[in-house]
Amino acid sequence: MNKTRLALLLTLAPLLANAAVDPLTLVQPVSDYKIYVTEKVDQLVSDTEQFTNAVKKGDLARAKALYATTRVNYEAVEPIAELFSDLDAAIDSRVDDHEKGVEADDFTGFHRLEYALFDKNTTDGQGPIADKLIADVKDLQGRIATLTFPPEKVVGGAAALLEEVAATKVSGEEDRYSHTDLYDFQGNIDGAQKIFELFRTHLESQDKAFVAKVDKNFATVNTLLAKYKTKDGGFQSYDKVAERDRKAMVGPVNTLAEDLSTLRGKLGLN
Amino acid sequence: MTDRDTRNAPQSQERRRLLAGLGVAGVAMATGNALAAPSPAKVTEAPHSDRTQERNAWIGEHQPGVVTPRPTAGMFVSFDVLAQDQQDLERLFRTLDQRIRFLMTGGPVPQVDPKLPPVDSGILGPVVTPDNLTITVSVGESLFDERFGLSSAKPKRLSRMLGFPNDALEAERCHGDLGLQFCSNAPDTNIHALRDIIKNLPDLLYVRWKQEGSVPPQAPRKAAEPEQSARNFLGFRDGSANPDSSDAALMNQLVWVQRGDEPAWAIDGTYQVVRIIRNLVERWDRTPLQEQESIFGRKKASGAPMDGQRETDVPNYAKDPEGKLTRLDAHIRLANPRTAASQPNLILRRPFNYSSGVNKNGQLDMGLLFICYQADLEKGFITVQNRLNGEPLEEYIKPVGGGYFFALPGVKNDHDFIGRSLLDAAKPIKTA
Repeated sequence: MNKTRLALLLTLAPLLANAAVDPLTLVQPVSDYKIYVTEKVDQLVSDTEQFTNAVKKGDLARAKALYATTRVNYEAVEPIAELFSDLDAAIDSRVDDHEKGVEADDFTGFHRLEYALFDKNTTDGQGPIADKLIADVKDLQGRIATLTFPPEKVVGGAAALLEEVAATKVSGEEDRYSHTDLYDFQGNIDGAQKIFELFRTHLESQDKAFVAKVDKNFATVNTLLAKYKTKDGGFQSYDKVAERDRKAMVGPVNTLAEDLSTLRGKLGLN
Repeated sequence: MTDRDTRNAPQSQERRRLLAGLGVAGVAMATGNALAAPSPAKVTEAPHSDRTQERNAWIGEHQPGVVTPRPTAGMFVSFDVLAQDQQDLERLFRTLDQRIRFLMTGGPVPQVDPKLPPVDSGILGPVVTPDNLTITVSVGESLFDERFGLSSAKPKRLSRMLGFPNDALEAERCHGDLGLQFCSNAPDTNIHALRDIIKNLPDLLYVRWKQEGSVPPQAPRKAAEPEQSARNFLGFRDGSANPDSSDAALMNQLVWVQRGDEPAWAIDGTYQVVRIIRNLVERWDRTPLQEQESIFGRKKASGAPMDGQRETDVPNYAKDPEGKLTRLDAHIRLANPRTAASQPNLILRRPFNYSSGVNKNGQLDMGLLFICYQADLEKGFITVQNRLNGEPLEEYIKPVGGGYFFALPGVKNDHDFIGRSLLDAAKPIKTA
């Protein structure tokens, strides 16, 4: 981590001039965040190995069972993963990102497999997609290992994750075939909350009421999500979420998106 | 800001009336060529308007946007209210009131540290122009459920819109807890206002559906000739028989809720009906002119009734009992039979034409954003629409969305806020 910390110091140096927050104090939380992301991505790689092996072996039931829990680690670290837009498109693009839909040659990754497993109910012909997915995920792991995390991307990631929730999770568009949206939803929220926690002391010293409001909205969302947890630690199908609860999530999610969009400014980052 | 608001109100309305004559010319210039321009106009030169400072009063017995003359751009947005309790609901109305005051008045936008998101979308620039904006706040029947202790305060005739026989209602474009009608000189002004409200109320409002529309500006009125109504997307003048919105006594009778069997808080409010009525324009354009005219009961070019010369002429149905001139099932004859018995059914229409895109069959998705106001929903729109059920025009129109709302009484003074009388009528909620 020493090399990372040095690189970070250099990135932050121009900010030293005038900022409400001493930029040097941001070094530790950003380093901690890199550890968090690295652990999540390691988990993503090992889970994706099992998932893609199940697909290749033709074990449809196991592949379906592993789909949601595998990709949740990707969702948690999306602000960093998205920095590599080529990989993000290959790993996580949705059918509506492609003009030709499911027929598009470059529609690969999790959602392409989701379509085969849950909509077509088959693993037939999915070997190449599975091979590409595991290769892409390993590529991501390698690139993250050598990446100096830009502090503004780390801090801004909390808001970016909430935008993900507001744009595609609430509507149930993310996992339209498997209806496992709540896993991703929780992954995004956990990822955002992690970032918020890392900078909590900085924010509390500035604006206690703000921190309390954000805490309250995270708690509201987590309570609603918990209602739909299953005994095995997973989540019910998004179809099962009452219309009333879907709408009840919108308020706290949009408010978190608004509030977290001020984090960069509050921490003096460009 | 609020003090200035009230003091300026009559003055600015006066100014607006003065400008009214000029205004039509202003719009014609803005949308047409640049005859008056001293040098050749550039491609990217913006259309000009001398009306961006037009301002309507927010404070008043009644809300603006009902009898206020209808400007070019209209938009209706329906929301679900996400408030969890009465305190939240009050915060919603107070914040709405505060934002509407600013938006209808205009003024500079507060500047913040550029490291933070700006507080305003900036689409009207650093100084917001009122641009004749009105925002009219209404509530739907669903707001009077168990959530806020309002069930006993529901206006007597407020109901959930039921489909009429020719309707093909789409659930996602119907109903709502709260409605906002935006009217102004330009679509961007309405959109700016909507985005401001959404940004300021992220935890309390959820956009349910939205429909924008427009009114085509008419050529200046010729001397000694009456005003002509704008045309709808079927090419007919729409609004010809509208009651005179400048006649305060008539408006009290037809539009504004009076003392009577309605809850006291609702006095000076009005029932608002919104309908998204798709027009099947390709088919309409393939229909012979005489059939179009007999379906409506008006001449297409002039807007005159079948037995008249000018749009404002009143048809004499008594002289035409068998419907030889004006068919008995003509749209205008069913909607307004012009009898003493049908007088209480008059409604104040405030429609906008909408054009949204293309349907799957390659036909244009366009029609009428129909909005009307009345003191009695049942005697007004519902009775009129029931008379219209089965009319020949139905082959060419398809209502797909909308809802019934109650537009709240006006904000009486600077210490008042929109919805206050309604909140005061709420029963305390027993906590379980």
